[in-house]
Amino acid sequence: MSEVERTSLLVGGTRTRLVQAGPVDAAEAVVFVHGNPGSADDWERLVSAAGAAGRRAVAFDLPDFGEAVAPDGFEHTPFGYAGFLAEVLQELGIERAQLVLHDFGGPIGLVWAMGHPDALAGIVLIDTGVLPGYTWHRLARIWRTPILGELFQAITNRSGYRFALNRNEPRGLPREFVETMYDHYDRRTRRAVLKLYRATPDPGGMSENLIGLLAPRDIPALVVWGEHDAYLPSSYAAEQRRAFPSADIHVLPASGHWPFADAPETVERLLVEFLQRDVASRA
Amino acid sequence: MSQPDSPLPIIENRADYDAVIVGASLAGCAAAIQLGRAGLRVALLEKQPDPQAFKKMCSHLIQASGVPAIDRLGLLEPIEAAGGLRPQMHMWTRWGWVEAPPDRAGRGVNLRREVLDPLVRSTAAETPGVDLMLGWSIESLLREGEGFGGVIARDKNGTRREVRGRLTVGADGRDSAVAELSEVPVKTYPHNRIAYGGYFEGPPPKHSPDSTIWFLDPHWAAAFPTDSDLTFYAAMPTKDRLPEFKRDPEGALVRFVADVPEAPPIRDSRAVEPVLGKIDMTNRMRKPVAPGLALIGDAALATDPLFGVGCGWAFQSAEWLSEAVRPALQGEESLEQGLEHYRRRHGRELRGHAYLIHDYATGRPMSPVERLMFSAAARDPKAAELLDGMGTRRTRPEQMMPRMLPRAIAVNARHALAR
Repeated sequence: MSEVERTSLLVGGTRTRLVQAGPVDAAEAVVFVHGNPGSADDWERLVSAAGAAGRRAVAFDLPDFGEAVAPDGFEHTPFGYAGFLAEVLQELGIERAQLVLHDFGGPIGLVWAMGHPDALAGIVLIDTGVLPGYTWHRLARIWRTPILGELFQAITNRSGYRFALNRNEPRGLPREFVETMYDHYDRRTRRAVLKLYRATPDPGGMSENLIGLLAPRDIPALVVWGEHDAYLPSSYAAEQRRAFPSADIHVLPASGHWPFADAPETVERLLVEFLQRDVASRA
Repeated sequence: MSQPDSPLPIIENRADYDAVIVGASLAGCAAAIQLGRAGLRVALLEKQPDPQAFKKMCSHLIQASGVPAIDRLGLLEPIEAAGGLRPQMHMWTRWGWVEAPPDRAGRGVNLRREVLDPLVRSTAAETPGVDLMLGWSIESLLREGEGFGGVIARDKNGTRREVRGRLTVGADGRDSAVAELSEVPVKTYPHNRIAYGGYFEGPPPKHSPDSTIWFLDPHWAAAFPTDSDLTFYAAMPTKDRLPEFKRDPEGALVRFVADVPEAPPIRDSRAVEPVLGKIDMTNRMRKPVAPGLALIGDAALATDPLFGVGCGWAFQSAEWLSEAVRPALQGEESLEQGLEHYRRRHGRELRGHAYLIHDYATGRPMSPVERLMFSAAARDPKAAELLDGMGTRRTRPEQMMPRMLPRAIAVNARHALAR
């Protein structure tokens, strides 16, 4: 493990927290994009592990998640967030990235990849990816319904949140992890969630375009999926080979939607091995 | 008895036996040893000509329920001398580890079939009264009045031989020819998992020399340390995982086991022989008797290998049969009565277990009652002991349930209140 460095960065009118490790000047980095609800905090252990493996590793809060506050006029869509990701990479001088994506970080990272296919050096998909034919899970359908979504967000409290989250997880999630997630789930984030989900009517819609663009490049990929994911079914894990034909796919048999929280050692091992294989294959 | 259309003559066998046992694997040998020791004449036929033959697709685990029967055969000491381990079971569940207190836990036997089978077979061969006939497979059953009275066997040269006996015993496994030929009623229950496993050398798993299983619900994995410092690793995922296992059995097994929680060191280990897989494991439950005929071991009841009950029940059902028919074969009561004793005993001992096993074999996730029991067992040593008693098949489900259910409810209620 290497120490992570916590700083912040002003990008596109947003001050975002940065969690970094490894050589800070490298033009290539492992870049972590969290999902919903999530933040840079999700990635601390993996950033540290990637840094210890000699890689520049960076995680940050997306606008209106974690502690970041979006500026007026920020577009809460996968495209708006992908634009933010591009700005962060530019600001940090990162020319090529190995993206580590979770949940909604998937669509965001993949939209970025569509615009910068040459800058995508590798990809790690954790319970996310191309989702051909996917229709939204129940919670997302609630968020997408006007008034019902607002009501639902308004009545969600800490114990209800904890209960609902753990009910869908095979082993429950570490208490501290859930508490941190809820701490960040303030009114601003709740509003951002409604906007983001309402701006995404068809989560699988871009899949065929992405597959057409990415599959011929055969980008090195690692897919990690919790068998018991209640939101994005693990049957999508194997589908990732359509976009990443050489993907190394691991469906973790006792995990849910947050494998890095309920199986941290396994996910860390898989990530580090993936990064090391990547180095070996280039050498 | 001659058959006019047969191309080869049948060797007439004038020596009638008390019992003709088909299959010299665990159940057949165990029954032969017991009947032989009771002064009876036993023909023990085995289609494999090699005395060192052994069952290849097997986890080799013998549940604690089978140990007393093995001990009564006098085989426990030789098994331990051959490197056999006496493990208790550690079960991973999503609620935590289920571990009975070591002094209360059932202890089974782990010895590779490569060592175990020849050991049991040589013991049978050396038993007075037992004629071990290797390289003979059966062609048909002989009729004797209303019932069966022996077999016509055939070797690989096509020589046929009539082996007559008062009792015919099918100990020829899941695909029993004796069962097929006798047309005893059979019930089948679907099995929706696949099984892949193999022996590895490398660092020992955490609970070594004990056995570890993971209830990944609905998948399953196991690490069974055994003799010669080897570990048997196995995966039993549902059938949707079949393509990756078919493509690369060893690679898929290693990846699967390495990804389980608190994974054993399979990635630092080396497979010492090819990883084998089994795809069709339909549960078969046959009526274990017909006039003049009995089935033991897998021939009578072939259930889901997930619970590792096959080897133990082979020894136990052999013992139940020998005890039930010995008085009849010694002329104290009719064979019909003896077989009826066996049928009742077999049903009483195994019906409840089989019901639960067949129900879970569909690949379904755990039921609410199973979740209740497993979660309580992870939280409470007494509940763990009760579950261990049933899992190692020393107590029957109907014996465990009345004690387990109230306790499981209380344990989980306490747990919920404490949170």
